[in-house]
Amino acid sequence: CDKEYLDTAPSSSVPNEMVFGTTEGATVALNGIYRSLWTSMDNHGNYGQKSYDLTMDMMGNDVITPVRGYGWFVAEYNHSAYATATTTSRSGVAWRYYYRTINNANLIIANVDNATGTQARKDYVKGNALFLRAHSYFYLINMFQHTYKGHENAPGVPLYTEPTTEGKGRGTVQEVYNQIIADLDAAEALLEGKTKDLVSHINQKTVKGLQARVALQMENWERARMKANEARQGYSLMNATTYKAGFGVANSEWMWGLQIPNDQSTIYASFFSHMSNTAGGYAGLGSKKLITRELYEKMSATDVRKEIVQAPVADNKGTQPNYTSLKFRLPGAGSWAADYVLMRASEMYLIEAEALARLGRAPEAVALLETLVRSRDAAYVAPAISGQALIEEILIQRRIELWGEGFSILDLKRLNRPVKRITGTAANGEHVEALILVKERSITDPQILFRIPQDEINNNKALSASDQNP
Amino acid sequence: QSRTVTGKVTGAGDNSPLPGVSVVVKGTSTGTATNADGSFSVNVPADAKALVFRYIGYVTKEAAIGSNSNINVVLDLDNKQLAEVLIQVPYGTVTKTAFTGAESTISTKAIERQQVTSVTRVLEGLVPGIQTTNGGGAPGSNASVRVRGIGSINSSSEPLYVVDGVPFSGTLQSISTDDIASVTVLKDAAAAALYGSRAANGVIMITTKRGKTGKPSVAVNLRRGVSDRAIPEYERVNEQEYYELMWEAMRNAKLGGAPTAGKDIAGANKFASDNIAGGNGLVYNPYNVPGNQVIDATTGRLNPNARLLYSDSWADELFQQSNRTDVNMNVSGGAEKSDYYLSVGYIKEEGVAKFSGYDRVNARASINTQVTNWLKSGINIAGNMSENQGNYATGTATSNPFYYSRYMGPIYPVWQRDGEGKFVTDPTTGDRALDWGNASQMGARPYAPNSNLLGSLALDERSIRRSEATVNTFAEVKFLEDFTFKTTFGGNYYNGFGTTFQNSLYGDAQNVSGRSTKSDTRTTSYTFNQVLTWNKQFGNHSLRALAGHENYEYESRNVSATKTGFAFPGTNELAAAATITDGTSGFSDHKIESYFSQLNYSLSDKYLASASFRRDGTSRFYKDSRWGNFYSIGAGWRISEEDFLSADWIDELKLRGSYGEQGNEATDSYYQWQGLYSLGWNNGNAPGAIVSSLPALDLIWESNANFNVGADFRFFNKVEGTVEYFQRISSNLLFAVPTPYSTGGLEMWQNIGTMSNNGWELQLGYNAINTSDFDWRMDLNLTSYKNKIKEMPNGDPIINGTKRLAEGKDIYAFWLREYYGVDPNNGDALYRTDKTLYNPASSAYQIIGQDTVTNNINNATYAYRGSAIPDLIGGFSNSFRYKGFDLAVLMTFQVGGKFYDGNYAGLMHRGTYGTHFSKDILNRWTPENTNTDVPRLQQGIASQDGASTRWLFDASYLNVKNINLGYTLPNTLTSRIGVNNMRAFVSVDNAKIFTKNEGMDPQRSFTGTSDFSYPVMRTFTLGLNGNF
Repeated sequence: CDKEYLDTAPSSSVPNEMVFGTTEGATVALNGIYRSLWTSMDNHGNYGQKSYDLTMDMMGNDVITPVRGYGWFVAEYNHSAYATATTTSRSGVAWRYYYRTINNANLIIANVDNATGTQARKDYVKGNALFLRAHSYFYLINMFQHTYKGHENAPGVPLYTEPTTEGKGRGTVQEVYNQIIADLDAAEALLEGKTKDLVSHINQKTVKGLQARVALQMENWERARMKANEARQGYSLMNATTYKAGFGVANSEWMWGLQIPNDQSTIYASFFSHMSNTAGGYAGLGSKKLITRELYEKMSATDVRKEIVQAPVADNKGTQPNYTSLKFRLPGAGSWAADYVLMRASEMYLIEAEALARLGRAPEAVALLETLVRSRDAAYVAPAISGQALIEEILIQRRIELWGEGFSILDLKRLNRPVKRITGTAANGEHVEALILVKERSITDPQILFRIPQDEINNNKALSASDQNP
Repeated sequence: QSRTVTGKVTGAGDNSPLPGVSVVVKGTSTGTATNADGSFSVNVPADAKALVFRYIGYVTKEAAIGSNSNINVVLDLDNKQLAEVLIQVPYGTVTKTAFTGAESTISTKAIERQQVTSVTRVLEGLVPGIQTTNGGGAPGSNASVRVRGIGSINSSSEPLYVVDGVPFSGTLQSISTDDIASVTVLKDAAAAALYGSRAANGVIMITTKRGKTGKPSVAVNLRRGVSDRAIPEYERVNEQEYYELMWEAMRNAKLGGAPTAGKDIAGANKFASDNIAGGNGLVYNPYNVPGNQVIDATTGRLNPNARLLYSDSWADELFQQSNRTDVNMNVSGGAEKSDYYLSVGYIKEEGVAKFSGYDRVNARASINTQVTNWLKSGINIAGNMSENQGNYATGTATSNPFYYSRYMGPIYPVWQRDGEGKFVTDPTTGDRALDWGNASQMGARPYAPNSNLLGSLALDERSIRRSEATVNTFAEVKFLEDFTFKTTFGGNYYNGFGTTFQNSLYGDAQNVSGRSTKSDTRTTSYTFNQVLTWNKQFGNHSLRALAGHENYEYESRNVSATKTGFAFPGTNELAAAATITDGTSGFSDHKIESYFSQLNYSLSDKYLASASFRRDGTSRFYKDSRWGNFYSIGAGWRISEEDFLSADWIDELKLRGSYGEQGNEATDSYYQWQGLYSLGWNNGNAPGAIVSSLPALDLIWESNANFNVGADFRFFNKVEGTVEYFQRISSNLLFAVPTPYSTGGLEMWQNIGTMSNNGWELQLGYNAINTSDFDWRMDLNLTSYKNKIKEMPNGDPIINGTKRLAEGKDIYAFWLREYYGVDPNNGDALYRTDKTLYNPASSAYQIIGQDTVTNNINNATYAYRGSAIPDLIGGFSNSFRYKGFDLAVLMTFQVGGKFYDGNYAGLMHRGTYGTHFSKDILNRWTPENTNTDVPRLQQGIASQDGASTRWLFDASYLNVKNINLGYTLPNTLTSRIGVNNMRAFVSVDNAKIFTKNEGMDPQRSFTGTSDFSYPVMRTFTLGLNGNF
């Protein structure tokens, strides 16, 4: 037989050399990462970034689920999910998800400069990859350790800036944040003047937005203010109609989102399955997601955000229980095609306002806050105009505006406020005690922390049992 | 002057007619051969004294003619003629006595006794050296086989299946067991080396039937059976117990632990009584009292006035006693220069789970002919079509009826009930409405809401329709007297058309109006070889040399598409649906090229030697490292042929030994050497890919060094057997070395590590009684092996689930935390502590006697806790014949080994709403029952439960695998209706399986872990075989 008889090539994968031969190939690798941001892993409770966003909310105070239903996110709700260190537990999947993103980003960062293509294109691809790496480390460090401030020297998470198979130790929180900042600064420079290919990609504004989010977490108010301000330029706030449209189609306010066509949707294992109370997913089947009465009552009657909550009625026999949120809805019947929101300008308004208030620039903060909230509630007037009261009002508006978008536990962490849930009945917009188990827990209780998967400790020589979170 | 003498020749033992027996008039060359029904007719001269009957494997017999015109003869089996027994080996056959390798052969008779669809299910317990799983009970499924231990860690440990000399890539259940003449297991290097490239894990050679010279013969086999579960369900609690237990779990959760003095027990009791039947409790209340009165808050017991309104059994509705029909007919025969075998068969096998089944139509034709005196040619074609229904999702998917019915709490009904427990009428069907566990019916059932398998399985479809064909053809040319050139082409075609349909009316796909996936997989494979053989006899020397070349090519293509949006029920074809949600296709191929040679030598039939060499290249490895060299040497000494050993009672005694190296290349990917990005990770319309494998340019063949010594013996013409010792050392193990998840978690394929399997096998046969009326034969085989990992990558252990691979340990050694028992003070689960984590200040730890224990499983220490590999496996069979009756009983067993029963662990939860409980939970810790090893109930308790020795049990079992009782009608009776031989039988397969715990199925896997799959079936069969 001739020599080539034994040379075969696969049809559903391509050799590494081909991927990084050209910038077009590297773009394919970049798009693969974006797809992995919503692809389901292992089970219906894991569907990329939005499943960890929902985890953040379920761990906090403002989202209620009234019944066990299929049981998804119940263990997150009662704080038992991430106490398990198996590979398929919440902490195990989160760890694998973010590090998969990091590894793929590292491969691009290490190889794209040698690909054939224009410098501008290399910068674009590399800038996106650096952003994705920073984004992943930001979530990892906040899941596996307490907040930055006061824990700078606590153990961090293994930090990799190039592809490798050798494991590393935890390092410190500070080191992780240093890398996040460095990556975002580099991405910011690389993406200067670049237009994004697809809705799902990011641009320089998105980088600035994440810089603002990180600075807020680090309590670097001046940087948070500056970056949030720069980030929101060019984006217009949603009006009442678009606010009520279901958060399933990207609009003028979205700075970053994932555009998911029907054939790439993950159906039951999707954000809308768990969050859309009107679709035939898990939420629609019984695991409804409710807003607390406490928060509901903080909205005025003219607030569009209140309109998309099922108003309480006595002995509600309708399809939507009291306080059911209709914020997230599938755009089309009979289809799971829907976009996922990951960053929008409202968050930037809120970051900037909070930073201004903390910097003592109350009038500017009030003006910004009122601009934002009036686009939801034309009659809104800030009830406080200075000091802690103003900060508290901004935080309340933040909880209302970003409800269900994944900020609950991140905010409790940086604010050093406990998980504290008002219990009673779901019909009254209160948490059900039989379901939450944890009524109150200090935010620095080690039980808040995710567990490093046991397999990581087993296979990473730089880690041992004593590196596990307590 | 001559006259005609007629008669019939039958074989002792089963009295079956013997075709092709040579019948010669003594002292002459005049003679004939018997027909297929054993009859003969011969002209004898007037002076003839006797007829001589000769037949291979039987004692030659003389019968005086006298004045008889009809002579019926019974020939006795000649055990001394063992030399004539031919066994199947690579690229030919060889006489058993001249063979230096280790093999075991299963005859068609042993296969016929068992009523199974796949031949893989027959092997267990019949030959030494193999270990099998029971393969579960799904209709049309296969068992897995391991030959002489576990050969590889990450590469395949499956043996190579060879059908009629050609490596087989089709599905094993497609081969009709009625068409199988023998199954030969090749175990050592000398036996298997010629299949070197893929024979590292042993070879199972299946030989199909061929026609025999003589009058055409027709055989008909009719079998009809019924099946039920051979492994019973776990014993579980009843409704009242369930309600009380769940109440207790809820009450303890409210207390945040065990009920102790000083806690508000009354308050917690009331909370539990108020909430247990509510939306965050059990939701359903099957009693005739209000939900908050079902459990008495003072006693924690069922309200004495409460009466059950309904009690449905999911198992009764989802499972059935199933029918099995198996019919086969074949015609065979042959003339002087040609032979043929034609067969057709039909099997219909229902599953014990409703809506599951397998049916198959198969046909085979084998035709061989001696074209000229130098050319021989033949073809063997087999084809079949089958349909496999009910390929239920396995594991924890809701659509798995075994998982679903086992864990569904006993209080949840199949049919919807009203407040008085009466059936509700479904407005659309007019029948009793099913309960789907929805809020719109009786409430959101906490276990698998929005589902009702009785309803959805009837409307869904999960099926594969297969069509397969195998063609095997050869041409053999003899030239220059001693040379033979043979070329064989064997091809296999497989097509599997899969349907997965979720209905539009209820359940998972209701909101998208149904979802259907159609997939089509088409696989072709062929082996093409050319072999030149030289056979030479000179004096006492006998020499056989062969050289050959072989190509193997495998190609698989598939396409699948998914659509949703079915406007009308009743179809699952994609044309009827609106929205495409998935569509893909793929291709993969695999090639091996080989060169091989072999030399066999024997001196005076006493001293035997063999050697072989093979060189293989595979497409799986990089071009610079893809070729591997394999070899074997073997020697034998037939001591019984020596003059100094002329004892009468020694019929045969042979010592033999072999050593050799074989290869293994069966890694996960056909493109293992390449560093790859996996395509299909598209982002909208932009193509996307993520990294999926690391490059492995240095990867080479895993090698398996096989050492074997054995002795074959037969004494007193009564006892025969084989005893063997073997050692297999697998080196350059193809190892998927795990990398930390934090570096991406991809596997790094390397040739690292060494593992050994040492063991012995014994096969003993004893013909205890052998008279013309009564025959009793016993066969015993035993196997024991020890597996040991000798070298690991960098010497580092690798933890994988419940196992930990480490040097000095075996591949299936359990690595678990040790369950210590229950804290009698509060019912906490206790585990032995990891000493490095011990903190005297923490309440998580306590010291009991010499032991430091913890109530937090995360602080518990891991250690080795035994292995899934048994100490001893074997089979014992007894076969009796009394006149026309015959009875055979096969028992298989395993002694030792451990089994990790995760199924049982799932029934011993702390109070998961809706999930069923094992009966053993009744022994949980309570303030009154403190001396127990079952912890207290408490919902949401964290860090107390997980994998530990608590779920590890002795895996020993005994299976009465087959009982077959038959009656052969007297020939005098049947011959009147033109039937030569007619046998009726009753048979029971998997009659009774004895295990340590009820419900546990230790023969489920080699690794000793459970799954939620289809349990093995017990089958009662009535059958009839007739030969015309």
